Amino acid sequence: MADRYKMVNGERIKLTAEEEAARDAEEAAWEAGAKDRAMANLRTKRNNLLKETDYYALSDVTMTDAMTTYRQELRDLPGTVADDATAADVDAVTFPTKP
Amino acid sequence: MSIIKLNNRAVKDATAVGSITGLGNLKFISRSTASSSSSLSITSGIDSTYKEYIFFFNNIHPATDNVVFSFNGSDDSSSHSYNITKTTTFFDAYHSESDSETGLSYKSSYDLAQSTDYQPLTYQVSNDNDACVSGFLHLFEPSSSVFVKNFIARTSGNNEDNHAQDDSVGGYFNTTAPITALDFKFSSGNIDSGTVDMYGVL
Repeated sequence: MADRYKMVNGERIKLTAEEEAARDAEEAAWEAGAKDRAMANLRTKRNNLLKETDYYALSDVTMTDAMTTYRQELRDLPGTVADDATAADVDAVTFPTKP
Repeated sequence: MSIIKLNNRAVKDATAVGSITGLGNLKFISRSTASSSSSLSITSGIDSTYKEYIFFFNNIHPATDNVVFSFNGSDDSSSHSYNITKTTTFFDAYHSESDSETGLSYKSSYDLAQSTDYQPLTYQVSNDNDACVSGFLHLFEPSSSVFVKNFIARTSGNNEDNHAQDDSVGGYFNTTAPITALDFKFSSGNIDSGTVDMYGVL
């Protein structure tokens, strides 16, 4: 791997071996968490889409069958991701289309 | 509307204008320019000279896609370690270029509770050629020996999902020791380019 440099008060300084090792560990930990972050992002998007249609559940609003199906598909979404899916697989999940 | 009177006299009749003192001012202190830098540190100029410091991030561009831009502080006088205990909040708003997604939410995955970790300023930063993050961080009275050191930050960027993303952070370094340095970096990869300008507030 190419040497890394840090910028300190405008001066470009090569990382020490210890700093390189620490940065390697940080980046490895970041990479290891990629799928968890993708799943969290998926849930956030799903929750926002559900919120957009929550008002259909009010007692004075009639929810269509299509809307019921859409909201159920959203709720099921995280569970449809395979255990061995990668972060890229999670990012590529297709959301149901709002009726 | 233009000023037409000064001290109850028409401006055209005024013969002198008294000096105005005591007003606030921003004092430029330094500019740090990233150039394929693993981190960007400011270890000079953060002291008791000013009650407030502002750091402006301009066009911070990551080498790696989908990364978190974050910062931490140091209370060391030299050989800085960036590990100050912090408690913080984080919330964001986003809107997709396709106009199909919007959101406004608290992000518990990016706040801290008495943690020495780096504090995210924004997340999912894209490394598309035209993508970058800009924003600011206010640090209040970093040299106080009495109080914790409050900060607030706000960033705007186009994230890796092609969203406009507006992130707000608030919190404090939970220490009464002076904060002497700040460090900025991405969660992975270099800061390809961008500047951090530091100002003191008089």
